[in-house]
Amino acid sequence: MPHLSAKNDEHSSANYSLMSRIYDAIRTNLKAKVGLIILTIFLLVAIFASLLAPYDPNEMSLDMMSEPSFQHLLGTDDLGRDLLSRIIWGTQVSLFVGFITVAISMIVGVFLGVWAGYYGGWIDMIIMRYIDLQWAFPNFIIAVYLVAVFGTGLLNIIIAISLAFLDDFARVARSMVLTIKEQPYIEAARVQGTSDFRIMFKHILPNSVGPIIVQASVSISYAILGEASLSFLGLGVSANTPTWGLILADGRSFISQAWWLGVFPGLAIMLIVLSINFIGDAVRDAFDIRHTEI
Amino acid sequence: MFGYITRRILGALLVMIAVSTLVFFMLRLVPGDPIAAMLADAGSDEAREALTKKFGFDQPVIIQYFKWIWNLLQGDLGASLYGSNQKVTSILAEALPRTLSLACLSFFIAIAIALPAGIISAVKKNTTADHTVSIFAFLGLSMPDFWLAILLIIVFAANLQWLPAIGYAPLSSGFWEWLRHLILPSIAIGTGFSAIIARMLRSSLLGELKSDYMRTAAAKGLSDTSMVVVHALPNAMLPVITVLGIAIALLFSGAVVVENVFSIKGLGRVLIQGILNRDYPVVQGAVLLISAFFVFANLIVDLLYAVIDPRVRYD
Amino acid sequence: MKNDKLIKKAQNELKEAYDFDHRDPLFGLTKEEISGERLSRRTTLRLMAAGGALTLANILPGLRPTAAIAGGHGGGELKCAWSGVGEIVTLDPAKINQVLQFQIASNVLSGLMHIDNSLVAQGDLAESWTVSSDGLSYTIKLREGVTFHNGDNFNADDVLFTFNRSKDPEQSIHSRVIANVNELQKLNDYEVKFTLKKPQASFLTKALERASGRAMTIVSRGALESMGEAQYGLTPVGTGPYKVIEHKQGGSVILERFAEYYDPGRPKLDKITITPVDGAEPLAAALEAGDVQYVGGNPIPSQLIDRFKSNPDLRVDIKPGPGFQSIWLNPWRDYMRVENFDKPLEELKKEKGFQVRLAIAKALDRDLFIEQAKFGNGYPAHGSINPAMGFYFDENLANTSEQAYDPEGARELLAQAGYPGGKGFPKIKLQTTPNTKRDGLVVANILKQVLGINVIVDPKDFSVGIEEFDTMDYDLRLGGSGGDYDPDDGLVDWMQTTSKFNGRKRDKSKYPFGFYSEAESDAAADAQSLVADPQERRELVRKANRITSDKVTCGFLYHPVDVLVHHKSIQVPDEARIPGLHELDRISLT
Repeated sequence: MPHLSAKNDEHSSANYSLMSRIYDAIRTNLKAKVGLIILTIFLLVAIFASLLAPYDPNEMSLDMMSEPSFQHLLGTDDLGRDLLSRIIWGTQVSLFVGFITVAISMIVGVFLGVWAGYYGGWIDMIIMRYIDLQWAFPNFIIAVYLVAVFGTGLLNIIIAISLAFLDDFARVARSMVLTIKEQPYIEAARVQGTSDFRIMFKHILPNSVGPIIVQASVSISYAILGEASLSFLGLGVSANTPTWGLILADGRSFISQAWWLGVFPGLAIMLIVLSINFIGDAVRDAFDIRHTEI
Repeated sequence: MFGYITRRILGALLVMIAVSTLVFFMLRLVPGDPIAAMLADAGSDEAREALTKKFGFDQPVIIQYFKWIWNLLQGDLGASLYGSNQKVTSILAEALPRTLSLACLSFFIAIAIALPAGIISAVKKNTTADHTVSIFAFLGLSMPDFWLAILLIIVFAANLQWLPAIGYAPLSSGFWEWLRHLILPSIAIGTGFSAIIARMLRSSLLGELKSDYMRTAAAKGLSDTSMVVVHALPNAMLPVITVLGIAIALLFSGAVVVENVFSIKGLGRVLIQGILNRDYPVVQGAVLLISAFFVFANLIVDLLYAVIDPRVRYD
Repeated sequence: MKNDKLIKKAQNELKEAYDFDHRDPLFGLTKEEISGERLSRRTTLRLMAAGGALTLANILPGLRPTAAIAGGHGGGELKCAWSGVGEIVTLDPAKINQVLQFQIASNVLSGLMHIDNSLVAQGDLAESWTVSSDGLSYTIKLREGVTFHNGDNFNADDVLFTFNRSKDPEQSIHSRVIANVNELQKLNDYEVKFTLKKPQASFLTKALERASGRAMTIVSRGALESMGEAQYGLTPVGTGPYKVIEHKQGGSVILERFAEYYDPGRPKLDKITITPVDGAEPLAAALEAGDVQYVGGNPIPSQLIDRFKSNPDLRVDIKPGPGFQSIWLNPWRDYMRVENFDKPLEELKKEKGFQVRLAIAKALDRDLFIEQAKFGNGYPAHGSINPAMGFYFDENLANTSEQAYDPEGARELLAQAGYPGGKGFPKIKLQTTPNTKRDGLVVANILKQVLGINVIVDPKDFSVGIEEFDTMDYDLRLGGSGGDYDPDDGLVDWMQTTSKFNGRKRDKSKYPFGFYSEAESDAAADAQSLVADPQERRELVRKANRITSDKVTCGFLYHPVDVLVHHKSIQVPDEARIPGLHELDRISLT
């Protein structure tokens, strides 16, 4: 988050309580603890992929579609590549795309939302018309439209998914701003001649962090699912990078001869999304937000 | 209320126009030659020129756009660039029932799973049953629909050979024929949605069960089951309606992917294939229809909610 | 060996078929021999040879003793899967651009001529015909009493209507097939006369043939008018053995026996359902569960072939397929630039650009590729002439070609070009289609292992990929040809400066030629299509093939196989096994 300065006394307490609320929520919730453990494992796997993967994920052999064994713990795929190594490397793409897209759409979306909410008027109108336009469609459909137009590849996928989630953050941020900006201490700051920018990002934003974090926790799991779905449809990162969606899509033609190709990559997607959903649920409880939007 | 509805409908139309305009110009910005794809190896240069002219690709994009709008106003969405140049309207008319069949059946499956699951977990709060439902709900939410589709194909189509792995049969070929082609894809789409409904239902039922009238009913000696089904459930269903908009979004996004797994030529597959083939008229038509679908579904859900919940004002 | 005898006989037939003088408008045949109700086998072979449509593979199936059709009887229902396709986009002959489409249409619509499996050209809707001595006019007597599926009578006006429709490039994509026809006259209700601009050997067997021609496949005026073009593309009305009773976009095509078909002995089956099946798993599931009993359409995915072979309920018939697949190398990319191929090989081999090209071609471990990518189904390729062309195929090329697999030699060449062990070589892209992505990955892996270079596989949709290929905007491209029955198909279409795929839409000021241009092989390829003597033609074909292989027109990869799979309960007599076609009217149930 930008400008979450701990030096500012007025907000450091809010800041502390924010972190401690999340911490408490996870500490007291079994599911959240399990989720955190799973997510940490996946993060470690992603970081240390090169050390953990027993084989080069793209190394082929004539040992094609061999069953899980001690040599290949999860078996090999239709080109004789080690499935475990491919899934391990796939973790990187999945987590990277999941977190980076949400980070981008959060930063841009919150900025737009705060800007629109604070100034109102024609800026608000233009931004909100665009947000409304996007709001009419499920995020995944928007991502499909965008990839269709921009083409595939890592950068394009990131742009497409980030843009697709933009409206959610903008909406949340804007509605928070509309509530907070009427508060007396904002009025006071304005009278003192504090700049708009300072008011927006030092006074208003820190107080609307809760709902935004909740939104982010929801978005990450959908961003990961979205990347996997796009890869599965052949609209993904690249044919050369092992991603979970792609491994599943490629394995589809062989699943009755090699069930492991259809089972393990999907299991990986499910586990990571599950862990984030577990954590997200606890965070949501902590902020007491009944969140139903997708 | 009348003014509100009119305003919403006008807004919806504006959204549709904006989206189709955006898509029209964006499609033409990207590389890919529809005529080349159409002719494959068969084309001579004369054929290429003749077709470019026939479809008007030799004209400026802005002229093409106004032509498209003009034809649209007359209910003509143009024709596919492929094969026998099927009318886009007839392609969409054939795809729509497939997607709707899929969406409806998914919806029913979702409700059929969610109702008992939600009721059990609310009534038996914090028991093993409740926890089991909750775990399954989380799994359902986290499972990618296309993966579930693959698992279902491995088990029920490839190994047990009970149900077809592919395709769609229209209702005219018999109810069972129709149904058996839709069962696996509908389960794949409906499962995630059922998890959402079950969780919503649980929390709103818990709220209802705490309310005064339920205590009164209990005092009257009504049994647990009839209390829940007769009294609490109808009230608890109200908030569930709010997720209908999400339902439509979720079922439709699911259909786009799952139709591709099962080779069902519904709206999602029409859209994806149109995109891949650069079949401009088809993509434009599909985007327009899909947009209309969402925009009006949202509108109806909002109005429905407004009718149900008198606190919503129309201003 | 019985087979040897057959092959010998076939080779003699082939030789005799090619033994004519091209300058003779009637190709060494008398006017009487070309005219008639049914061409003799010799005449057909000769016409096909002259038209560039004849191979040993064509001749062989007809020579196999036709198995007595034990227990085959009329009636019954057949369920077919059409492989590798999600929908049958069109069945309108004027729009058909995929083999899998005309495989169906040929059972619904009739042409004027149709070749049987012994390659005897039979009149289809033509009852008899006469040819003028200058070979310029063909007078055709039409079959009387033929009706369309909608009850309309067939007569000369339908031929005229079809002709006018097909020659208009706005209505038909096949106008080129009949470009040589100057005029079509209606003499009376059952007689028409084609006048050609110049003699054309292939006219009867190619332009008028119902399956491959597509330009003179007779369409119904009445039906086109009443249902409109779009609907006609789904449910065309013709005079063929089967009528389409149901076909919705994206759904199955349902055919029903046409009771008034002119040959009362056909068709044998009452009803045929053709379901497009996209994807390997669904195809296997459908066939193994007995949901379908016969597979047509695109080639069957190779990973399934062994599995089907080991299934006692299925019959699998494999033949060499007529085609080749290659890695195309863009000579206008700096690291493999060759601006002039018209040099002695030894000199070319001193150029860095050529060294890279040859290194890539030499590094292609074709056996490994076939085993890994094609599960063992395929033949290594070193030239565009495929083994289905038997007589012309050059087995020695595998050993003698410069681009024969040689990992040491390949590495050495790459080092000479300045990239020892692949060091410093740019990351390049190998363009494929979504369907050939897997093949591309295997090639990329081989190049990485042998040369140490990084190749990124870039699957592009056909519409985008072909555009880049035509404009010379690619590094490497995996692609090639199918349906190559005559040396012309392999050489003239692909290997010459003027070949139709050779950088068709390139910027000619920037690129004087597309992927290849070489005078000597151009001359040999030109000469071979004019030479009458088969031995002599073979020498020229092999010469062109050898030069294009040595000078690396592309890195040749493999020749596909042609596979027919059906349930054992289906009788597919030899007469129904015409390469690339499915003669559903001759198939029956046991």
